[in-house]
Amino acid sequence: MRILNLIVVIITGMVLVYGTLDMPDWGDPDSPANMHVSPYYITNTLEDTATPNIVTSVLADYRGYDTFGETTVIFSAGMACILLLRRQRKK
Amino acid sequence: MIDQLPVLTIIIPLVFAFITPLLGWWKERFCYPWVLLSLSLCMICSVFVLFRVISTGTIHYYLGNWTPPWGIEYVIDHLNALMLVIITVTALLVAVYSKKSLEQEIPEKIVYFYTVFLLQVVGFMGIVVTGDMFNLYVFLEITSLTGYALIAVGEDGAPLASFRYIIMGTVGACFYLLGVGYLYIATGSLNIADLSSLLPGLYSSKVILVAFAFFFVGIAIKMALFPLHVWLPDAYTKAPSAASALIAPLMTKISVYVMIRVMFTVFNPSFTIDMLPIADIMVGLGIFAIMAGAIMALAQTDFKRMLCYIVIAEIGYMVGGTGLANAIAMKGVILHILNDAIMTLGLFTVAGIIAYQLSGHRLSDFRDLFKKMPFTMAAFVVTALSIIGVPPTCGFFSKWYLIQGAVIAHCWMFVVALLFSSLINIILFFRIFEIGYGFRESGEAHGHGGEKALISEAPMTMLIPTIVTALLIILIGIYNQPIITNIIRFAVPAL
Amino acid sequence: MFDFIMGKYNYWFYIALMMIGFYAMIGKRNLIKKIIGMNIFQTAIILFYVSIAFKKGAATLPILEHAHGHDVHAIEASSYINPLPHVLMLTAIVVMVATLGVALAIAIKIYRRYGTLEEDEIIEAMK
Repeated sequence: MRILNLIVVIITGMVLVYGTLDMPDWGDPDSPANMHVSPYYITNTLEDTATPNIVTSVLADYRGYDTFGETTVIFSAGMACILLLRRQRKK
Repeated sequence: MIDQLPVLTIIIPLVFAFITPLLGWWKERFCYPWVLLSLSLCMICSVFVLFRVISTGTIHYYLGNWTPPWGIEYVIDHLNALMLVIITVTALLVAVYSKKSLEQEIPEKIVYFYTVFLLQVVGFMGIVVTGDMFNLYVFLEITSLTGYALIAVGEDGAPLASFRYIIMGTVGACFYLLGVGYLYIATGSLNIADLSSLLPGLYSSKVILVAFAFFFVGIAIKMALFPLHVWLPDAYTKAPSAASALIAPLMTKISVYVMIRVMFTVFNPSFTIDMLPIADIMVGLGIFAIMAGAIMALAQTDFKRMLCYIVIAEIGYMVGGTGLANAIAMKGVILHILNDAIMTLGLFTVAGIIAYQLSGHRLSDFRDLFKKMPFTMAAFVVTALSIIGVPPTCGFFSKWYLIQGAVIAHCWMFVVALLFSSLINIILFFRIFEIGYGFRESGEAHGHGGEKALISEAPMTMLIPTIVTALLIILIGIYNQPIITNIIRFAVPAL
Repeated sequence: MFDFIMGKYNYWFYIALMMIGFYAMIGKRNLIKKIIGMNIFQTAIILFYVSIAFKKGAATLPILEHAHGHDVHAIEASSYINPLPHVLMLTAIVVMVATLGVALAIAIKIYRRYGTLEEDEIIEAMK
């Protein structure tokens, strides 16, 4: 059983490494991830949102819906913990 | 107001879910009507969205008014609108059904159960309307977290089953996140429409191939595709009746929807079908799932566990049908998503009613049930006929489309598997009918001591959703042609 | 060859870390070890994403200096690192913590019922 787990883990790792062979180098300023969507955020954040912290402006304004979902995740985890752990005192 | 309908379907249950703990702290009796109110409003909104999509085409809704790909957008086409209606109708029926069952099984936790219930419905709907890959991950995690909690408050052995589900479900979600990360490295975008226009130039890249592999495995874990199905039987058997009636029809079908989106909208059909051997793999896995699910269902003595293996077999239909890669099979798959949700809802509500009346859900508990609970058993017979595939119930039509698609694709093994599964289902259900009519002893019949004369028909709040489900099965079967021509025909990806 | 390794080694380190966490999740028999493995796996994915955001050269943090109000100089995208993976990972960290909380709550429930956290002993106790 241990051998099977080890084989699964090694195969997964090798598939992941195989995928990195075509990736852009680390820190490449011309990679697609750095050239496609994010320059708009950097150059336009002051006009659109008047926030100098770009991460905040993306998190709270451009992709504010993700933050809303994240808040819902925290709330549902809290409710789930109450549902699981709360013990009523036996009268 | 009409323009904001797509987001209202998510906001209404969410706001109601935030208020439910406060309401329950004040007066516990108000929680049940409150949940019904919120799910009814939500269902009305989703039906309006469906009509709007049928009349005007795909809806694009920009959240925060930022144009994609810099902001998040909702894209609601025919497939999404159909899934929305399925989710809200199922949730409303289960909510009506859940009152008595919760009072018997977990009487001290009703308020928080309903809160987590509403949050899970929010999670389901958030997955089907979004047009952004990372947003889908966030809502997938909402669905998963609430699912783990709802399952873990069940009977003895439920926390361990839920823990196993956590481990496997988190692996699936993390693989999905890795897939999104690889796609982001290769293209720089997270928006589904944007990705589908950027990816065709990159199909020979190893990054895209590995991303697709991780998407497929991650979604297969969530979908309980054989052989990654091991979390499903324990988790759904030991969950409370209301929780399994909500999660079982919806969770796996929504994962099938996510797979269809990833395979055909994000990645073009020309990539998934022509360049990769994934279609043959999917048909093979589908055949295995159908056979394994059917054979293992035969070996069970517990009714709810048998239903879980039937669910695994149904997933095999859908995955195999997607792998056949022609338009008729895809119509069958999408119709089967609709049918299977309603059929599984019918089966699990019947199992819950039997658990409520008899405090157990083994096959031996079915003795003489046909005389004591005629309406419940009538609904069960309709659902069983639909799973076997008898016209005019809806199960026949989706099987018919799948068989037609398999014949066109010259995949005879799939036709054999479908017919074999129908045969096994006949054996399974007729065995239950025999026990229920008292024609034969079930083998452990003496355990309950004398006649259980106290068993009567199920209470109204539990009986009405079951009968409505049975009626829906017949209605969808009769009206399947209008559904296909108006909705499903446009939802089929261009193959 | 050396350039190839220098260009990719960050990805490989994080994949190795992910695989350590993954092995702990599926291979260990103690529930708490599985939860810690889950934590390592998800943290490694977060680090993987954050490493995508780096830009060589004169890039600095994505916070605009001296930018309040008037006289804003032209902002060049190449002088700030990519903010989008950081944003996504803030959400992913929160999701990771929430999953950890629910998993630990279920582990507490199991412990209260069976008195042990080893999976083999729990399965024995259930029979």
